[in-house]
Amino acid sequence: MSAPATTVSAPLTGASAAAANPAGKALAVGLAGLSVSAIGVIVSGAHAAATSYLVGFSYWTAVAIGMLMLVLIHHIFDASWSTVIRRQYEHGLAAFKWLFVLFLPLLATPFISGGDTIWPWMNPAHVMHHGTVAEDVLYQKKAAFLNVPMFIGATLVFFAVWVWLSARLRKASFTQDTDGDLKWTTMNRKTAAFGIPMNALALTFAAIFWMKSLEYHWFSTMYGVWFFANCIRAALAFGVFIMVWLTARGDYRGILNKNHWHCIGTLGHAFVIFWAYVTFSQYFLIWNANVPEETFWYNLREIHADGTPSQWKWVGLLILFGHFFVPFLYLLSFRLKSTAAGLLRINIWIAAIILIDLCYNILPSLKDAHGDPLPFLSLNLVWVAASVVGVGGVCVWAYLRSLAGSGAKLIPVRDPRIKESLTYHE
Amino acid sequence: MSAQPHGLIATFDTAAEIYHAAEQVRDAGYRHWDCITPCPVHGLDGAMGVRRSIVPRFSLAGGITGFCAGMTMIWWTGAVDYQLTVGGKPLFSPMFAFPISYELTILFTAFATIFGIFATNFLPMHYHPVLKYDHIVRGLDDKFFVVVEARDPKFDTKATRALLEKIGGKHITELEA
Repeated sequence: MSAPATTVSAPLTGASAAAANPAGKALAVGLAGLSVSAIGVIVSGAHAAATSYLVGFSYWTAVAIGMLMLVLIHHIFDASWSTVIRRQYEHGLAAFKWLFVLFLPLLATPFISGGDTIWPWMNPAHVMHHGTVAEDVLYQKKAAFLNVPMFIGATLVFFAVWVWLSARLRKASFTQDTDGDLKWTTMNRKTAAFGIPMNALALTFAAIFWMKSLEYHWFSTMYGVWFFANCIRAALAFGVFIMVWLTARGDYRGILNKNHWHCIGTLGHAFVIFWAYVTFSQYFLIWNANVPEETFWYNLREIHADGTPSQWKWVGLLILFGHFFVPFLYLLSFRLKSTAAGLLRINIWIAAIILIDLCYNILPSLKDAHGDPLPFLSLNLVWVAASVVGVGGVCVWAYLRSLAGSGAKLIPVRDPRIKESLTYHE
Repeated sequence: MSAQPHGLIATFDTAAEIYHAAEQVRDAGYRHWDCITPCPVHGLDGAMGVRRSIVPRFSLAGGITGFCAGMTMIWWTGAVDYQLTVGGKPLFSPMFAFPISYELTILFTAFATIFGIFATNFLPMHYHPVLKYDHIVRGLDDKFFVVVEARDPKFDTKATRALLEKIGGKHITELEA
C-alpha cells in the first residue's frame, strides 16, 4: 500500500535517510535500546543483564504470538468482523524472524562462562543450596528434557513454526489482494486448523523452557496457559494501539465503527477473566496442596528467607488488582469498552501490567547471596526497560516496514468477508 | 366500549420506510410507542431513540450478590457455625471460598439477567391489545407497524393520525383497548 508519508515531525537533527520515515526511527530507537542492554552486561554483569533482556524479549514475543493466534482464530471461525483488523496483525507477524535474530544472543549463553548465564540447570556444576545441579535428584529426573541440545532444538522449532505459519498466512492474505482468489481463504483456514495446535504447543514449551525452567524445581501445568492468556491480552492491546494510531493518522477513518471497538473490548474483557481464572487456579492449587516443591516459587515472591515480606509481595498484589480487578471492572462498562479513547486508556494500563507480570515471573530468578530474589526496584529495571525499547523498536520497525512495503492493501479488499466486516453491526 | 382506545396503528411496507417513520415519531416527542417488525431492523433502536437496556444493572447486582453469598456461606459454615480444621488450613480464607463465590457469581448473574429481561419486558404477558388487530399476523411475515399508545401524554387522536399519515403510514386504525 502507499501509506501517506508521515512527515509531520519533519525537522530532524542529523537527518539520515533512515530517520525520515517512522520505520527508520523505530529501528534507530530499537538499536539504541539494545545498546543500553549491552551496557547492562558491563554494569550489572551478564547474569542480571541477560535475565532482564529475557523479560523484554518475551514481552514482544508474547505480542507476536498473540497476533498469530488471533489471525489463526479469525480464520478457523471464518470470522467476519475482524477482517479489517486482521490485516494489521498480519503486518505484525513480520516481527518473528527478527525476534529469532534477537534470541540468538540468548542461544549463545549455554556456551559461555559455564553456561548458567540465565538458566541455572545449564551448568551441572551450578551450586544450589543443597549441592550442585548435577547432584540434584529433581534435575536428574528432568535431565532428559532440560538439557542444552533440547533447549536449542526446541527453540529452533518454535521459531520455525512461528515464522513458517506467519509466512503462509501473510502470503495467502496479501496475494488475495491482487487476484481475489478464494483458494487463499481456504488455504488460510487449513493453516489455522493445524496452526492453532502447533502454535499452542510452541508457546507452551517456549514458556516452559524460557521462563518456567528458571526455577527448574517447580511444577505447574498452568504455566503455558498463563503465558497464552498474556499473549492474547498483549496482542489485543497492541491491536488497539495500532487501530487508534491508524484512525488518528486517517488511514482507518470510516473503516472502524462502534461495533468493532465493542468486539475488541469484549474479547479483551473475556481474556481478563481467562487470565485471572488461569493465574488464580495456579496459585490456588499450589496454596491448597501446600507441597514445598511448589510453594517455594510463591514464597520467593512474597517473603525473604527470614520471613519478612519482600517487594515482590507488593508486585504480586499489584498484578492481582491491576491485571484483573481494574480492567475487569473498567471493561464491564459498555461506554468505556466501545470507544477508541476508552479502550486506549485501559489497554495502555494492561500492556504495562503484562510487562510487570513477566518481571514477576522472570526476575526473581536473580538471587542475592542469601538466596533471596533481588528486589523489584533495582537497577535491573533499567535493563528491562532498555530491552523492551530495544526489542520493541525492532518489532515496530518490522511492522512498519511490512505496512509500507509489503505491497498489501490497507485492508484485505478482496477478502470474501470484507463487506460484512466494513458494515459490521450488532 | 371504553371511550379511550389503546392507540393507533399504522402499516409500512419496507424496513427503510419504518426506519424513517420511527425517526419522525421520535422527533415528534412521543414516548409510549413501538415498532413491530417481522425481522430485526439494524439501527432501529437509534431511530426510535431507545436507550440502552438496563438489564446489565440487574446482572451486576446479581453478580455482586452471588459473590457475597458465596463468601458469606463459606465463612459462616466453616468459621462460625461448624469450625473444623481441614488440611491445616485456616478456618476461613478467601482462597478456598473463591471457587464457590465464582460459581455463585455466575449463577446469580445468569438468574438476574433472565429475570431482568422478563421484568423490563413485562413478561410473561398473555394478552396485548395489538393482538386484536386483524392484520397483525403480517407483522410476522412482510409488514411493518408503528403503534402509538393512547397513554402517551402527546397522544391526540387527530394529531397523531395526521402525523402517522404524514410519515407514510397506511391503513391507520384505532386499536381497541
